[in-house]
Amino acid sequence: MNIFKALTKIPRQIIFLVIALAVMFPLIVPLGLPVRVMPKSRQLFAAIDSLGPRSKPILISVDFDPQSMPELYPMLIALLRHCFARDIKVIIMNLWPQGPGLAEMALDVIPEEFDKKYGKDFAFLGYKFGVTAILLGMGDNIKGVFPVDYYGTPLDSIEITADIQNYDDLSLVVTLSSGDPGWRAWLLYAQSRYNANIGIGVTAVSAADVYPYVETGQVIGLLAGMKGAAEYEILVQSNGYSEKKRTAVQGMDAQSLGHLFIMIFIIIGNVGYFFSRRRSNSGRQK
Amino acid sequence: MNPSPEPWVWIAAFLTLCIFSFLFRDNIFYSFAEHLFVGISAGYLIAITWHNQIYPNLVMPLFMQGNLVYIIPFALGLCYFTRFIPKIGYLVRLPIAFLLGWGSGVGIPALFQRDILKQTQGTLLIREAFSKWDTGLWAIIILIGVLSVLIYFFFSKERKGIMKPAANLGIIFLMLGFGASFGYTVMSRISLLIGRLQFLLGDWLGIIK
Repeated sequence: MNIFKALTKIPRQIIFLVIALAVMFPLIVPLGLPVRVMPKSRQLFAAIDSLGPRSKPILISVDFDPQSMPELYPMLIALLRHCFARDIKVIIMNLWPQGPGLAEMALDVIPEEFDKKYGKDFAFLGYKFGVTAILLGMGDNIKGVFPVDYYGTPLDSIEITADIQNYDDLSLVVTLSSGDPGWRAWLLYAQSRYNANIGIGVTAVSAADVYPYVETGQVIGLLAGMKGAAEYEILVQSNGYSEKKRTAVQGMDAQSLGHLFIMIFIIIGNVGYFFSRRRSNSGRQK
Repeated sequence: MNPSPEPWVWIAAFLTLCIFSFLFRDNIFYSFAEHLFVGISAGYLIAITWHNQIYPNLVMPLFMQGNLVYIIPFALGLCYFTRFIPKIGYLVRLPIAFLLGWGSGVGIPALFQRDILKQTQGTLLIREAFSKWDTGLWAIIILIGVLSVLIYFFFSKERKGIMKPAANLGIIFLMLGFGASFGYTVMSRISLLIGRLQFLLGDWLGIIK
């Protein structure tokens, strides 16, 4: 086998090992590569930053499962820190059944950092099945869809939800979505039908699909994948809202090195394919 | 190195390694973790649906508060179970027909609004788009991209004359779109690996802080 043929047949186990090492190394020895904040992330940050203690609450919909945690959970943490640092009231809900555990995990830690109290500063509505009925129902009466919160307390007896009727009583809805049901449904029903302000955080795999909606102004800001989460963490820290650990920023060095090695493997594969094909073609002509 | 004393962290680390072992080849550890995941997911979904959906939205209003209107959705829901009784199995069509009719009525206008009206509006060249030179340039590129891709998917006319280069330009825009999607997909998959490695090296082994 000639060298070019060999380049096209690198065992996949070797590729996996090299990528694993490339990703692992910067986690242990941080490289400190710069992360540039993109305008779409800045737009979402600015929208939330313009709110304050007297603003209507923000609704964060945790529409992801543990599989998407590396990308979306840091977004949730950074958003909560931003909101609580600005004394903005937060309501959390889920369209995914695995979401409540993740939301609770964040709510167990972040409110304590800012001395925020359940019911007064934030509330957790939990999960409901049937996305269309939920989002349309919330446009009419949120308490009709969520008569009680995640812990069984009626919404009427919770301070921040007592006076809430529908989307008009929310300053912004941010969906952290890793698929369906998620950002598409929020745009379809809450935005198109009820003109709710929607901000979106998605896994990178969905990001290209969301861009057209940001361009038209249907979405007020977008956080795309781990990069978007890292950008938001940087914005929260650079504005002095939190000094805590930045998980996504920590991962971005590994992301860059991982991409570099994938590009190297793509080039190696293509060089091997191109030259081995040229050699076999010239052999046939002789 | 400062390994976690938490047994749950060790179990999670073991299951992560079981799943990663598939990268070498299929094996019993991978199958064990996969089956465990499927079983736990199903059980969890049933429990959370009961506690968050059926109990507060049906059982409580109908059986505890005596709100009789809820008999209608309750009866429609029960119709799904008639699939198990062949003689009256046709009743399942009732809730399906209701859902299809209601879903189409609600979904089609909203879809039209989200994906056609507002997207077309966003493609139009309006004066505000040219407030800065770069936004104006992007607005023109977007318009050219949309038109050329639409021409590429226009199959009722033979690709001759202006149609041919326009369709070819459409292919370039499509390829750029596919490239962006693929790049983002790679980024997403690497992020998943980073998340697991952060857990293994940080939460489990305590090598990174």
